[in-house]
Amino acid sequence: MTNRCLMSAHHLSKTVPIQSGSLTILDNVAVEINRGDSLAIIGASGSGKSTLLGLLAGLDVPSAGEVWLEDVCLSTLDEDGRARLRAAHMGFVFQSFQLLPSLTALENVMLPLELTVSKDAMPQARDWLERVGLGTRLDHTPRQLSGGEQQRVAIARAFATRPALLFADEPTGNLDRNTGARVIDLLFELNQAQQTTLVLVTHDSSLADRCTTHLQLDAGRCVETRA
Amino acid sequence: MMRTLRLAWRLLHRDWRAGEVQALLFALAIAAATTTAVTGFSERLALTLTQQTTDLLGADLVLEQSQPIQPDWLARALNTGLQYTRAVEFASMAVADAGLQLVSVKAVGVDYPLRGAVRVAAEPFGPEQPVVQMPEPGSLWIESRLFAMLKLQLGDTLRIGEADFTITRVLGFEPSRGGNILNLSPRVLMRLEDLPRTQVIQPGSRVTYFNLFAGTTTDITSFRDWLLPQLVDQDRLVDARTGRPAIANALDKAEHYLGLASVVAIALAGVAVAMAARRYSARHYDVSAMLRCLGAVQRDIVALYLLQMLILGLGGSLVGAALGWLGQLGLVQLLAGLLPLTPPPAGPLPLIIGVATGLITLAGFALPPVLRLRQVSPLRVLRRDLAPLPARAWVVYGLALLTLLALMWRYTEDLRLTLSVAGGAAASALLMLGLALGLLALLRRLREHLGATWRFGINSLWRRGAASVSQIFAFGLVIMAVSLTTLLRTDLLSSWQTQLPEDTPNQFAINIQPHERGPFADMLRTEGIDSAPVYPVVRGRMVAINNLPVRTAVSKEAQDNNALHRDLNLTWSASVPEGNRIVAGDWFAATTSALAEVSVESKLAERLAIKLGDELEFLIADQSLKARVTSLRSVEWDSFQPNFYMIFPPGMLEQFPSTAMTSFYLAPDRQAVLQQLVAQFPAVTILDVGVLLGEVRRIFGQVTLAVEYILMFVLLASLAVLFAVLASSHDERIQEGALLRALGASRRQVRSSHFAEFALLGLLAGLLAAIGTELISALLYTQIFHLDYHWKWPLWIAAPMGGLLIVAIAGAWGTRKILSQPPAVLLRDT
Repeated sequence: MTNRCLMSAHHLSKTVPIQSGSLTILDNVAVEINRGDSLAIIGASGSGKSTLLGLLAGLDVPSAGEVWLEDVCLSTLDEDGRARLRAAHMGFVFQSFQLLPSLTALENVMLPLELTVSKDAMPQARDWLERVGLGTRLDHTPRQLSGGEQQRVAIARAFATRPALLFADEPTGNLDRNTGARVIDLLFELNQAQQTTLVLVTHDSSLADRCTTHLQLDAGRCVETRA
Repeated sequence: MMRTLRLAWRLLHRDWRAGEVQALLFALAIAAATTTAVTGFSERLALTLTQQTTDLLGADLVLEQSQPIQPDWLARALNTGLQYTRAVEFASMAVADAGLQLVSVKAVGVDYPLRGAVRVAAEPFGPEQPVVQMPEPGSLWIESRLFAMLKLQLGDTLRIGEADFTITRVLGFEPSRGGNILNLSPRVLMRLEDLPRTQVIQPGSRVTYFNLFAGTTTDITSFRDWLLPQLVDQDRLVDARTGRPAIANALDKAEHYLGLASVVAIALAGVAVAMAARRYSARHYDVSAMLRCLGAVQRDIVALYLLQMLILGLGGSLVGAALGWLGQLGLVQLLAGLLPLTPPPAGPLPLIIGVATGLITLAGFALPPVLRLRQVSPLRVLRRDLAPLPARAWVVYGLALLTLLALMWRYTEDLRLTLSVAGGAAASALLMLGLALGLLALLRRLREHLGATWRFGINSLWRRGAASVSQIFAFGLVIMAVSLTTLLRTDLLSSWQTQLPEDTPNQFAINIQPHERGPFADMLRTEGIDSAPVYPVVRGRMVAINNLPVRTAVSKEAQDNNALHRDLNLTWSASVPEGNRIVAGDWFAATTSALAEVSVESKLAERLAIKLGDELEFLIADQSLKARVTSLRSVEWDSFQPNFYMIFPPGMLEQFPSTAMTSFYLAPDRQAVLQQLVAQFPAVTILDVGVLLGEVRRIFGQVTLAVEYILMFVLLASLAVLFAVLASSHDERIQEGALLRALGASRRQVRSSHFAEFALLGLLAGLLAAIGTELISALLYTQIFHLDYHWKWPLWIAAPMGGLLIVAIAGAWGTRKILSQPPAVLLRDT
């Protein structure tokens, strides 16, 4: 692994037991992501994109193969160890936003900061919400925000801990075209400014085109990788 | 830690605003409120009763002796910080112009009594008032009947021994009456200072010295413990703990009921807590998954939710305990007219117990589902179908059952009651689960014959399978708890009412001579007064058990028993007297009469360890009589009928000199009859027990209100379960209803299908409840409350119909949102 390489995965497979035996969702996939790069994982529905993202982020464990974040092998860590790694190095943006419905926008952004013992969680969270253009909506709960606004809160939350690695799972999947485009602009803009490494799952090829590397999945296999 | 606490607080605060935790809090508050109110009220009731008893005694502790108190005993009492006064009681002839009469005189100090009050009336047989001042030196207060016996009036002179006194008041009641209430001559009260003047007390006179002590419980207990080992045969020590058999029976039942009903309320609140906690947990899977995704470790999740539970537990319990506290204050206010005294305030213990119960209930019922949250996979942020593995059933139910058992035991302090209720409940629970499944399957077979709405309801119930069964079970439990406590209440109250009906005897006539029996009964009949049977009475002392002198035959603790130190009233009867029940052995067979047999009151037998087949020896008028115990009887001491420790078969006691006794009811406006009776039968002693009867009635009134009050908590707890159960499937129903409407179902169709589903749920639950209630009440009535058990047919209509109506209405109310909001809004929100 070169010094530039932030994350890599080798011979990654995921099978799940089903009634008639087992189902292979991901089959022998290899990934290498350099620091500051952006990787688009593309493919049709059910091709294994989200599963790969889950494995890379340590949200799930592979049936075979290994995932490395710098010099740490995720397979050697238990769930709590992987959680600490996520808290320290990773941020997330999801298709369904995944904001806590009972918390305000400000409190949602404060959440990861508080988990990492950040002392000034509130000013930092406020600052991030201002940067995504929601400085006047701090006390609004997700129900009081539009889809685009909710995703902007999620982006603020993802960047708030200044992660090295940002995972985005279909970030525009629940948004209309215009709103989606604005959200993506914001995401790339912040990514650039923060020098974050981005892993983006999408089936939108125009969105994928904005990334530096592509990995195309089909029925769990990697069919194309291009830089 | 502070960080987690802050987060826990913030999440909880937001959940509160979103209405997520109210059900849990409500259920918890009910558990704590019930405990606090019942503990507080019971404590105050017990304190009141103790106070009433000490008022009857005139002190906290009374030492009865045949000689003046030993100086070192008195010095010890005074050094301990106790208050002290004394009274001297003796029998003497009272001489008036009209004749002589044997009276019972009590000479008292100016500070008598230390507790309670002497009651006097302005005229004979008139209403009584408490007084603080004792008779002035040179004056006497005498009982009403003595006015009639000696044709006296207020202001007349009466001679006791060598001294003349002026009668200044009518004596109604004075505390610390020794011995048997039924063996008293007319009573006279005078001042101790006058005693030497009478010259009645000579060496060898039969005199009882009453030494009255009062002080704090600690001081009294310490003095009592010091004194007990030093007492000699004739000394008798009486305190509030010495039983009050007249009301013990009713109070026992009431305490059982209060204990049982509060456990039922707590158990219901527990079920509500468990259901609310399960829903709370399920609705927090996403939050936990998100927190795990953002890097929270399992410990963080556990700490977060434990802190939330602790905050909720403390909040709910404190609010509940405070409400319970106010509740028992309110109850005391409500009872202000009924209670003869203002009950002393209860200590802080009920509050502490209330909060502890809330926390224990939460731990026992809510912890397993809430702790599941730590097992939520972070992958759930990508795949919403991932739910944590359910907590092991035995952990959930085991913990809940243990919690309940512990609470129940602490409450009832009765292991037998606890185990029988727990066993009955567990058996009924299993039976009900089986029946719920069976009934559901039966309904499914019937659905082809029903209309579309009902078919839809049945299908929906069947589809939800396990959830439906658990809902039927929970509703069944609620209806059962309410039916059981209501039925038991009604039957308890009516048993008390029949026990002390309007015409309960308020007069006892004793010392009826054999030749007066007929004329006395005739006179009552002529006056139109119903009386209890006239029982013959022979006085005798029990001297040996199985040929061992009683003092050595009984245990050390039993040696104090009053029945061993005095003559007992013995009677004979061919049949079991009313209010008596054979609990062991057999009543005398007609053919075996005149055999040496005796029937013994069961509580006395228990205290003296007398068993069936034991041989008892009595000394009657210097003759010995032996008899074998062939039956034990329970006796309703509070029935106000003549009651006896020992009953013999006819033919054994007739040879001994006997008198007779009876009791009858005299309406307040017929007091004149008393004066006629006293004039016509001067040797017969008539005792007015109206005051005592009034006191017992008042106590029944108190416990009746307490019973009603606790029922209210059971109903509240039931309400909590009802809403918790409805909430448990609320989200799913809203989503289904919204989908149906989106697919084109009319509001009417959705409404009727919901109604059908809830109505069926309620109907099945009511049916199950009727079965469970019948089973458990059979057990409780016969084993614990000693009430007659009979099949309750109205229950079999009321429970299913009540279940149907309540669940259908509550269900319709709970899902009204489906009809009032556009489907799109609902689908987006769920």
